[in-house]
Amino acid sequence: MFVVVCIKQVPDTTQVQIDPVTNTLVREGIPFIVNPYDTHALEEALRLKDRFGFRVAAISMGPPNAEATLRKALALGVDEAILLSDRAFGGADTLATSNVLAEAIRKLHHQEGVGLVLCGKQTIDGDTAQVGPGIATRLGYTQLTLVDRIDAIDHLRCRIRVRRKLEGRHEVVEAPLPAMLTVVRELNRLRYPAVPMRLASQEAEVKVWNNEVLRLDVNTTGLKGSPTWVSRIFSPEREKGEIIGDGVHDPAGTAKLLIDKLVSKDLLPC
Amino acid sequence: MKALLICEYREGKLLDSSYELVAFADRLGADRAMVLIGSEAEAPRVNGTVYLADAAKYGEYNPDLHKRIVLAAVERENPDYVVFVHSSYGWDLAPRVAARLRAGQVSEVVGVVDGKLEVGLCNAKLRRTVTPKSAKTVVTIQAGAFSPAASPQGSPRIERIDLADTASALEFVGYEPAEQKEVDLSRAEVIVSAGRGVGKKENVAVIAALAKAMGGELGASRPVVDAGWVEHSHQVGTTGQSVSPKLYVACGISGAIQHLAGMKKSDFVVAINKDRDAPIGEVADVLVVADVMQFVPALTAKLQK
Repeated sequence: MFVVVCIKQVPDTTQVQIDPVTNTLVREGIPFIVNPYDTHALEEALRLKDRFGFRVAAISMGPPNAEATLRKALALGVDEAILLSDRAFGGADTLATSNVLAEAIRKLHHQEGVGLVLCGKQTIDGDTAQVGPGIATRLGYTQLTLVDRIDAIDHLRCRIRVRRKLEGRHEVVEAPLPAMLTVVRELNRLRYPAVPMRLASQEAEVKVWNNEVLRLDVNTTGLKGSPTWVSRIFSPEREKGEIIGDGVHDPAGTAKLLIDKLVSKDLLPC
Repeated sequence: MKALLICEYREGKLLDSSYELVAFADRLGADRAMVLIGSEAEAPRVNGTVYLADAAKYGEYNPDLHKRIVLAAVERENPDYVVFVHSSYGWDLAPRVAARLRAGQVSEVVGVVDGKLEVGLCNAKLRRTVTPKSAKTVVTIQAGAFSPAASPQGSPRIERIDLADTASALEFVGYEPAEQKEVDLSRAEVIVSAGRGVGKKENVAVIAALAKAMGGELGASRPVVDAGWVEHSHQVGTTGQSVSPKLYVACGISGAIQHLAGMKKSDFVVAINKDRDAPIGEVADVLVVADVMQFVPALTAKLQK
């Protein structure tokens, strides 16, 4: 049985900068990382592999350079890594993306049966949280979002029991397999790749499936298959608080300015 | 234009966020109808139609049943927008409804400008406007982004929805409580909070030392709690505690709107951040542009003198 993990290569949003003149995203030099939530999905798949002997396939839709992301997954121990890459997939919103990922999972299912699909709860660059549910709906899988614990997998009855993280409480539910789970960071702690695995992953094969393999109607993929489109990206205008001192070059002097300010506002004792 | 607003009901109560949905519809200039899967006693105080289904029968959440109830209301109202709050409830239910309606979905909307929907991007550093092309659009709104009227008034016209078939593949086993709140930040007069900018777990002690020197409590943003650097009971924001101290010092917190929603009632806000464009600047009275790990020790040292 396959456990399929969907991973996405994203820009490291903590390092994203805005060009002050053009007010647009500075793309040069921004490092790419595996979407942090997806790394926990990947970790959980590998734990299920250790526990139950499932085979793990990692899939990612993206440009050819997203191969690097899948190679990281190979270094951690996934059995298959597949990059879904085609010009016809580009510019996709969440609906068109889930269409491509779902088709790839369907193809894997024909190979050896898929029991679980694991995704991060959201990506850090888009934050839409829709791709996982979109996959579940298309494939008719059970959808379980915000999972922070997998309690049990019952092969005989084809059921899974998980705990979901809600506001102020958790919910435990049982549902039929196959299932698509989106996971939160609390689910597990990450492992680090062992050196021999990292070296081996450089040799291992990342398969590339383009639309000649998936054979999707191009009106349902990429920009054409997207019911939402982004008209404008911009940096939000806002009123700024007063910047005091020069905290970078004169921390001590700036600390004094800040303390004086707080004392004058009666927020600190003299 | 019409919006169907899906209320949220938890532990026997209508959540106030339901009125944020009303504020969103008003900003959009849309007519509205609402759906509540709860109880009649908790019906929202608004004029207009409220479709009511009984939570005693359909649960506070069951994705199969709640989806079908929402779809039944969609069928009767034929709305342009179906709107949820971006909570765990909307998070799970909205995409199910969108998929069924073959509708585009726009998640975590923070604003409406000229009828277009604005969403945050890259940790709220950027925004983008999204234009839906499908006949219906499913929307989730960010908690705290649309301020409701101070005291909502009105009397709804209740229409009941009942499902003939209540079978569901999902079996609800039970709830487990979240971790106990050990620190009551809601009463603190001074709160000094640590954000991701502190860099690593060991550095939280530096922020805690500043909190002590200022006579306050330690707070934290969600990423820091998620990473296990600080206990959840210290978390400030929509998934943690809402606070209103006299003085709030945000150390290395960029200011995701969920965090801002939890601390914007503070009387005076100091932000210490190396990024002068971070959204925390929106609510800060004073901004110190610096690396927190360089500046905070200097500040603590001066306070201790």
